[in-house]
Amino acid sequence: MLTEEEIITSLKNRFGGKIYNVVIAKDRRVFVEADRSIIREALSYMKNSLGFDHLSTITGLDSGRELELVYHIVRENSLVVSLKTKISKTDPRIDSVSDVYIVAELYEREVYDILGVKFEGHPNLSRLILPEDWPEDLHPLRKDVTLEQITLRIDWSRVEDK
Amino acid sequence: MSGSVIKVVIGPQHPALKEPERFILEIEGEQVVRVTPRIGYVHRGIEKAMENRTYLQNLYLAERICGICSHAHTTCYAQAVENLMNVEAPPRAKYLRTIIAELERIHSHLLWLGIVAHEVGFDTFFMYVWRDREIIMDLLEELSGNRVNYAMNAIGGVRRDINGDKALKILKGLEVIEEEIKKYIPMIQREQTILKRTVGVGYLNSVDAVRYNVVGPMARASGVKRDVRRDDPYAAYDELTFNIVTRNEGDCFSRIMVRVEETLESINIIREALSKLPSGDIRVKVRLAIPPAEAVSRVEAPRGELIHYARSDGSDKPARYKVRAPTLANLTALCNILTGVYLADVPVILAGIDPCFSCMDRMQIIDLEKREKKFWTLEDLRRYAREWYQKH
Amino acid sequence: METKAFSRILKWARTKSPWVIHFNTGGCNGCDIELVAVFTPRYDVERFGIVLKGSPRHADILAVTGPVTRQVKDRLLRIYEQMPEPKHVIAVGTCAVSGAPFWDGYNVLGGVDKILPVDVYIPGCPPRPEAIIYGFKKLLEKMENEEHVD
Repeated sequence: MLTEEEIITSLKNRFGGKIYNVVIAKDRRVFVEADRSIIREALSYMKNSLGFDHLSTITGLDSGRELELVYHIVRENSLVVSLKTKISKTDPRIDSVSDVYIVAELYEREVYDILGVKFEGHPNLSRLILPEDWPEDLHPLRKDVTLEQITLRIDWSRVEDK
Repeated sequence: MSGSVIKVVIGPQHPALKEPERFILEIEGEQVVRVTPRIGYVHRGIEKAMENRTYLQNLYLAERICGICSHAHTTCYAQAVENLMNVEAPPRAKYLRTIIAELERIHSHLLWLGIVAHEVGFDTFFMYVWRDREIIMDLLEELSGNRVNYAMNAIGGVRRDINGDKALKILKGLEVIEEEIKKYIPMIQREQTILKRTVGVGYLNSVDAVRYNVVGPMARASGVKRDVRRDDPYAAYDELTFNIVTRNEGDCFSRIMVRVEETLESINIIREALSKLPSGDIRVKVRLAIPPAEAVSRVEAPRGELIHYARSDGSDKPARYKVRAPTLANLTALCNILTGVYLADVPVILAGIDPCFSCMDRMQIIDLEKREKKFWTLEDLRRYAREWYQKH
Repeated sequence: METKAFSRILKWARTKSPWVIHFNTGGCNGCDIELVAVFTPRYDVERFGIVLKGSPRHADILAVTGPVTRQVKDRLLRIYEQMPEPKHVIAVGTCAVSGAPFWDGYNVLGGVDKILPVDVYIPGCPPRPEAIIYGFKKLLEKMENEEHVD
């Protein structure tokens, strides 16, 4: 049974200054930010050495100046660590973690689709939820994309059913 | 390459994102050799819409993510927002949330049971189950004023209380439904139409269940004893005693038995919750401009782990609201299970993950050799499956 | 040659046993489960001859639930085209009626009448089975009062 504090200590011992902004929001809820360069390694470490065998989902968001990714991993179906990292908005890319968590393959596709993040090394980075003929560069969850823009750019009269 | 490629187009597939899923099934002879999920979602853009609405308005939107487990979504939502604000619903509210949640679990599992009966051609049983399910719908309506979309949750608690009369009605209703469900069990265990189509079918072992991060009854039917109600308790679950139903066979039959037995557990949880119902307020007052914070909220929806993530920025609207519903979590494992099975087993295996009801849409068959395209409805596939099982 | 008696018999057959095909255009399933409930013992709409069918080619009535989204619009049109005349459309639930509350979803077109002519609107989120039955009744009355030339 690892406590929230023990998990943080483990991470800090292993990754030093690349782990920061730790918040223990309440029991079983830890939020921590990490340098983008160590995300994959950190997730791997948490899975293999700290017992975080479950990836619940990956959240992508537009925080204004940058994009952010949040990996929600769970230990013994109980303790959730949300591991966050910031990536560039103009060139958003990060290593895929689909070889660490098999289900990441789907979750990364979703983030790619609605936010435009490129997951390098992903076996099949293709659209997940938006239609196939949706414009390449139109990512709905970006803050600067408004409903008006989408309405203007999508041709409602022509829909292809592939 | 020989063999036909079958494209399965399935409608809304799970609570959070009600969209059609597409599977491309490549077949040799009568067996599936490869599955490629191609999800062409019918997507309503809910997460984006939530950024344009206040926290209060979003409660009503969250409810309509899924009409079958709407209470799971509003509970998860209310908890997330309460966490952002560092408030907790009062004890009585937590118990009421639990009671509605378990009634919802019962209705959802019974709904599903009827659908599975329909899948294997046992329509009489489908009718029995949906008739009995009306008892639960009546109770939900008695408590909330509505059969579907109960709007019981508020941010900070629940909106309606129950009194002694209502509690008695619930107990009476539960007695009746419990008796009926207990009759189903020997029926299911002896009915050849069900056994032939589900025993040994769609196998998933416990190691893979964990590797694929499977959730809910799917996981428990493969021996993985996990349930958010016990492992990461919320509402009143940490004060109630209940069993986590698991089975080791990991096949479609186990998935049926796990859900049926879970409904019996749910009945007992409701009884215990009613007997221990604390007095007091059902709601705390909240101010809905929320300082910057983050929250993760999880509940055990009827289909498994539901997770919401919220981020506030000081305004009355969320900066980001993310929903991942259980069916998406089980999708990867589903594709793994489907590889190597008989085409005739596909409908029942699909049903086994309990995708949201109105999913099954159409199938498109592409014969690579003849370069022909045919369109099947799921009824055609069901007929194919039933005929296949009559011959084998 | 069409006699008046023959048309009356045809009309009686159509309104006494209408076949319904149900299509969800991306809704939350709330309306779907209430629509299906209408065909189960408690409500038993089959005693009015209303039957749920799997194929549009044999259907008289198309019951649509959900807000019409971009991907599904084409399929909805095709189902409607496959139905023989005379055909009718019921919009079941507030989403099918108007698209709300998803009216501003970036992938949502709106209610069914943006695509198809709707005969009966059944609002509700979801509408109760009784409301759905009432809607069907209204449609049957409408069908009975229609003149159709075969």
